[in-house]
Amino acid sequence: MDSRLLTTLSVTLGPPQKLGQGPLGTRVIVPITGGHFEGPRLSGRVVGGGDWTLLRADGVLELDLRVTLETDDGALIHMASFGLRHGPPDVIAALGRGETVDPATYYFRTTPRFDTGHEKYGFLNRLLAVAIGDRRKEGPVYSIYELL
Amino acid sequence: MEARRRDVLKLTAIAALPACARSPLVVPDSPNVKKEIAMQTRPLMTLRLDTAPTQNLGSGPHGNRVTFPITGGTFEGERLHGKVMPGGFDWTTTRADGVLELDLRITLETDDGALIQMTFSGIRDDKAEGGPYFRTLPRFETAAPKYAFLNRLLAVGRGEIRADGPVHILEEVV
Repeated sequence: MDSRLLTTLSVTLGPPQKLGQGPLGTRVIVPITGGHFEGPRLSGRVVGGGDWTLLRADGVLELDLRVTLETDDGALIHMASFGLRHGPPDVIAALGRGETVDPATYYFRTTPRFDTGHEKYGFLNRLLAVAIGDRRKEGPVYSIYELL
Repeated sequence: MEARRRDVLKLTAIAALPACARSPLVVPDSPNVKKEIAMQTRPLMTLRLDTAPTQNLGSGPHGNRVTFPITGGTFEGERLHGKVMPGGFDWTTTRADGVLELDLRITLETDDGALIQMTFSGIRDDKAEGGPYFRTLPRFETAAPKYAFLNRLLAVGRGEIRADGPVHILEEVV
């Protein structure tokens, strides 16, 4: 499917809240304390949010992220994305140790949806997107592509 | 032929491809180096749905609700094919801005007898600037080991309303 880059989002994380194993898997809630995003039509900073992650029994990490973005010209945008992350055990273990890993060696994809009342950014209410994630030591970086 | 905005966007996207590193990523030397890979997809299936008369619920707090019972259908792809079981639905809502939100749940049965739950959310904007925009985000869940790859992928879909019903072209996000 055709797509084009919408923005590249980097987030900073707070200390994870480890809730342990529940009926659906191991739940870790990761506060998002800040960050920034940059792209041809969308640039600004991350106000805050969190990622409600769930490690399933089959080793796949489900991601459920919600953040508020503030554009350089002052618009507030809600972004919510569901995603999946998984890969070979040694790669996932290296990520767990905070090492820099080639993002092509694991699967880290999300599907952001946007929602804003700001007229200039109304186009975001009317598109679907896919993000390619790169879990770096200092926090995840998402290249977000609009589905054309 | 109309010159549609979306076609122009497609050309722009294609023109931009060489600028993106499509080859396997290398670990950046510095955390500040931005490496990008273009989003890539590969075919998963073509899904055709049969629908029964709609349930028109009228306007609620989220918009105008129309529910489509799904009575059957087929799906065809290199890795999986079979039929859509009766009993699924697509719960649609037309939002205040005119965009239709889709929320579908169906069960697929492959030709070799595996059951797969499929859901998608999606949007259909018939008045989009560049022509109708109808895209979905399907997800799958199955217990069949042969099809377990579906549990581990995200997908995108392009929908069309044809004379004989809705058709969705689904692609795996690789």
